[in-house]
This record gives sequence, structure tokens and C-alpha cells, in this order.
Amino acid sequence: MPEILLPIGPQHPALKEPVNFKIVVDGETIVRLDLDISYNHRGIEKAAEQRDFVRVVPLLARVCGICSHSHTTAFVKGIEEAMQLEVPARAQYIRTIVAELERMHSHLLWLGVAAHEIGFNTLFMWTWRDREIIQDMLEETTGNRVIYGVNEVGGVRCDLTLDLIRASFEHLQKLEDRITQYVGMVKNDETLHMRFSGVGKLSKADALKYGTVGPTARASGVDYDIRKDDSYLAYDEMPWKVVTDTHGDVFGRTLVRIGEMQESLTIVRFCLENLPEGPIAVKAPKTAPPAEVLSRYEAPRGELVHFIRTNNTDRVERLDIRTPTLANWTAVAVSLVNQNIADIPVIVAAIDPCLSCTSRITLLNGRNKKTSLMTWDELRSYSGEYYRRKRCA
Amino acid sequence: MPDTPPGPSARLANWARLKSPWITIFNSGACNACDIEAIACLMPRFDVERFGILAKGSPRHADILIVTGPVTMKQASRLRRIWEQIPEPKYVIAMGACGSSGGVFCGLYHVTDGVENTIPVDVWVAGCPPRPDEIINAVVACLNLMKEDFTRGGKAWRQKKVEKTSDAGGHSEEVPA
Amino acid sequence: MTDPLTLGSVTEAMNGVGTAEQVSRNRIRIKTNPGRLHKSLLLAHTILTCDHLIQISAVDNGTIFELIYHMTGPHQTVISIAVELPREKPEVMTTSGIMPASGIYERQIHDLMGIEFKGHPGLTRLILNEDWPKNEYPMRKDWKPDPGTFYGGIRGET
Repeated sequence: MPEILLPIGPQHPALKEPVNFKIVVDGETIVRLDLDISYNHRGIEKAAEQRDFVRVVPLLARVCGICSHSHTTAFVKGIEEAMQLEVPARAQYIRTIVAELERMHSHLLWLGVAAHEIGFNTLFMWTWRDREIIQDMLEETTGNRVIYGVNEVGGVRCDLTLDLIRASFEHLQKLEDRITQYVGMVKNDETLHMRFSGVGKLSKADALKYGTVGPTARASGVDYDIRKDDSYLAYDEMPWKVVTDTHGDVFGRTLVRIGEMQESLTIVRFCLENLPEGPIAVKAPKTAPPAEVLSRYEAPRGELVHFIRTNNTDRVERLDIRTPTLANWTAVAVSLVNQNIADIPVIVAAIDPCLSCTSRITLLNGRNKKTSLMTWDELRSYSGEYYRRKRCA
Repeated sequence: MPDTPPGPSARLANWARLKSPWITIFNSGACNACDIEAIACLMPRFDVERFGILAKGSPRHADILIVTGPVTMKQASRLRRIWEQIPEPKYVIAMGACGSSGGVFCGLYHVTDGVENTIPVDVWVAGCPPRPDEIINAVVACLNLMKEDFTRGGKAWRQKKVEKTSDAGGHSEEVPA
Repeated sequence: MTDPLTLGSVTEAMNGVGTAEQVSRNRIRIKTNPGRLHKSLLLAHTILTCDHLIQISAVDNGTIFELIYHMTGPHQTVISIAVELPREKPEVMTTSGIMPASGIYERQIHDLMGIEFKGHPGLTRLILNEDWPKNEYPMRKDWKPDPGTFYGGIRGET
């Protein structure tokens, strides 16, 4: 079988971090995927061993700019568990509010990016415009639009005033109207259906077998959400439900993310209405007793795990981070097999990788040994053209 | 000052470049926050496209290269290659704390601290991440530099004479507004 | 969701393959040796119905290496299976045959810690750049960057 190597290289006009895929194809069908994710490795785990708890939190906030609150909360709650520290209820609620706002902004970002991949630029512009509402809320509350350093060991660093809460309710109302509009759009749009349905199908058995997490797994029917399974912060004190779907394809993942946005709205509203009084932080001791903690958190992309070992000093002995995207790459490799080259952008974007895909593709024809180069933009237009021809055929 | 004043076609090309600079955003191992803020500039709230600024994927069409991230070791050679593909006159904006010195990642084992160690930089933007307003300010500062460089025949007037054996480029300063 | 596992039921299922202890409300840690790793993982996967591999944590505490396989299932209890490896020869059989999800984690651990996973289909570079010298494992406690070695980036410049 003639195998053709299709490396997709590291620079993308619109999106996040770089990754390099080597995709082996046979004609137009994908045979195998080899992965190289070293573009973004910075050596954070090593640095975490050399910085004390106060200085490691800003470092962890910058592991990923989109799920910055996820990393700091996972770490801080792990250390609090090691220290057996009781965090005040108001702090837990504020952390929950910021966490759900982060989930909403991440899913809106994803929706825009997925729409951009299929050429639906209007939705791209609209979702990112509505993200600005969330950015405003976060900026008013925490002081920054993107990396909100709200966490510290023992609680949070900023409080919500009554004016802020009142303003937040107005913002939330605007957001709810917009999200309802997107739900209708996603369910009824023909192009979206054509490009997303049946693409990148992952069965429930495969999702479990390959360690998939997050909306990618929940779209295949796996009921796995850390907020319910290993409840943390204030999630077990309020009514909300886990969103799952049975489609298993990119369309299912879209539906799950949209459903989660609506649930997040409910959670934020509940937290704002029932914010308990009290302090926002307790004074944490400087050192942590020897302990081993597995801190799990449901980041917007899936299950984020921080494995922490402390040893009676003011720094960790080991911090081992497993990001949800790492867990989902195997599923991407599996769901790309026997799919079309034209579906690569959509399938890769559908796991919402915290990595941006590069733009160099080399097509090596196994039969006549000729090479040709393709950029990610050309791949996207190739995909668009392929589906336009398919619709007219 | 240049020996001969620039001809009419050069002046026209420069006018077009100033009125509609095309940018390429290159992520050299960043946490993505800077990229989101850079792309937010193109979105309806800040909307730099109304000023003619277009984000193109290919470096061969770009006037300005915006680099985010602390330049990991893996990306350093690719960043250099991308920069070489941009046709002259080219300008580089190093975004954020990471682009200036490595930011929180300064000194880590897989990071070359800052963009300056790989390619010459014209404008630095402070922030972690810099707000879209600050990024637009940086692009405007870059356009002012472009205008000044054009009348003075290149970048030589603002480069310090550095005795360096490597060819990482000279040190550039930002023009006071 | 099924009932959470108890220490008694886990000990019974493990059948002497390792010693179990309850380390927190929903986590049970089982200590075993590398030779029995496969058996204990299979038991956890089948009898204890752990169908999701959460993480493989690799720790270097200065003297030995530790690998901890965390798994969970519909019972929502986390089962952590810990093995210790000697520093001079840190190698263990791959588990990607039982749990395909572990393939990518083993690649990462091999890159950063230098633990050898025998039988893995492809332990190629995943997370360090291609110019990184072989046999330098940055996450080991005794590793420090050597100023004379080239680790990546552009040659000839600091």
C-alpha cells in the first residue's frame, strides 16, 4: 500500500500553539498519525520544584492562557488538601464563578475557531464578539481579561462587591440571549451539519479505551465529569447536570459544548445569587507536611490532573501535570484513520487542542516520489472546495 | 539621510505599506494568552481590519511579524526561517513579557529567553498578556518607525553599533513618540 | 455510577499481588513490584472495572524512581498502583498492550525521566526538541544543564 507522508507544520494564522503532525495517507484517506508536541515545552514542572508555593502559582497560571484558572485551582486545592486547610465558603464560590466563566469563554472561543475552520467566518466574529462580554465581567472582577490571578493557597485574592454582582447579572442576561441564538444556529445550519456530522466518529468503547476525557468523551456517551465524580469547589451545592451526547462525532462535541455553556450560565447565576458571607482567604502555613495528592479538575477541555508530592518544605517535591489535550491526542489519531484529508482541520479542532496547528504540509506521492507543499490555509480551502464539489455532485 | 531621495514608485509602495500593513502572528511556544489577545484585535470589538491591518498566515505577504512566546528551543530555528522569508522592509514586534525576556519562563531548560536572541526586534510590548489596545498602540508605533525609516533610508540610523560576532542583528530602539 | 470501592473489596480483588491502603476519601493506593505490575493492572481493569487511565505519574525522589498508575471507573474511586524502580536500571514492561491510552504517557516519561518501557511500539521523542542530546533527562533530580552542551535552538548563539 503506497504510504504518503503528510507533515503538518508549526505556524497558524489564527490559532493558539504549534504542533507538528506527520499524517500518513493513501490517496485521500488517512492511514496513520505521528505526533510531535515539543514546540511548546518550556520545562514548567522542573521550575515548579524550585519555586515556593507563592511564586509557583503565577507560573502555573501561564501553562495555558485559556485554561489558566484551571491550572492554578488544581494546584492550589491540591496543596490545601496536603496542608488539610479549610478554605472559606465565599472563596470557593468565587473560584467556582471564575471557573465557569472561563469554561464559557473557552467554549465560545472554540465555537468560533471551529466555524473558522469550515469557512463560517460570521460565526467566528460573532462568538468572539460575545466573548468580550465575559472578558468584561472577568476584568471588572479580577482585574485582567485573560490571565486572572485570582487564586492563592488559602483562598482568593479579590472580592465581589454588590455593584459588581448587579452588573454581572446584566452581562449574563445579554450572554444568555446570544447563546440561545447559537444553539438554534448550530442545530439548524446545513453547512455545519455537512461538515461536522459523521466526521471523526469515536465510539464509546474507543473513547474509554484510549483514555479520552472532556467534551470529546462526553460526546461519545461517556458520563465522566470531575465536577460530579470527584466534586470540588462548590459544585455539589447547586443544581446542574452533566451534558452528554451519543453522536460521537464532531457535531456531538459541538452540542456538548453548547449545552455546557448553558449549564455554566446556570451555575454562575446560582453562585451570584447565593454568595455566602465571610472572609475570602485564610492564612496558609508556609510549608506543607509530607503528602501525596492527586488533584483532579474539570478544565474546559477535559480532566486536568496535578499529581503533587510535598515533603515538609515550602516547595513541592514533584508536580506532574497531565493536560486534557495530551489525553485526547490518541483519540485524534484513532478518529483520523480512514477519514479524508479534507476533514483534518475539523477533527483536530474538535478536541479543542490547547495547541495550534502549523501550516506546512508536505505531500509525498508514494508512486511517483514527487513532493508538493501545502499551507494550512490551502488545506482549509481544499476542504472547502472538496465539500462544495460534494454538495453539487 | 539617503544619497538619492526615494523615487515615486518607492514612495507609493511605502504609502501602501503604511496605510495597510499586513501582519503575521507567530507563536514560539507561548501559553496562548498573547495569541488570543492578538486575534481579539481582529474581532469586532477592536476591529483593526478597518485600518487596513490584515492577518495573513504566510510570512511572504507580511510587513510586520508579531512574535508571541518565550521562543522555545524547538521554535528558535523555525522563527529564524520565518523571519528570513519576510521580504524587506520587515518589522518585528515582540509581544509581552515572554517576548522581551522570557517572562515567567526565564531561565527554564527548554527556553531561549526572549525573541531578541533569535531575530532583531523593533518594538516591544509590555504586558502579560498585553491588552488589545496596547497591541494596536504597538502597531501604530511600528508604523511611525516605518515612516521614519523610509525618510532616513533604512534602519541604520537607530541601530547601536554592537561588536557582535553572531548575526542575531543589531539592537533597535523605539522612537520616542 | 456504581458503589464506591472499599478497602476490603480491593484487597480481596488484588489477591496478594500488592498491599492496599486508603490514602484519602476516594483513593486507594496499592504498592506492588515491577514484576507484578501487569497482573495488578489487569486485575484493576477487569475485576475492579477501572476502564479509564487517568495518569502515569513518574517521581524521582533522589534515590529511586516511582511510577504510579492512576485509574478510575464507574465506581468513581481512584486506584493508584505504585511500583519502585532502581536508579541504575529503570525499566519496566509497557502497559500499552492492556491500556492503549498509556502509550503517549510512556513516551513522555521516557523523554523526560529516561525510564525504559520494554515492548513499547515507538518510544520516539515527544516533548523535547530533536537537537536535545540523548541520555540527558531533565526531570531527574540530579540533572543540571551543562553550559558546554548544545540543547537546541540556533547553533553558535546563547
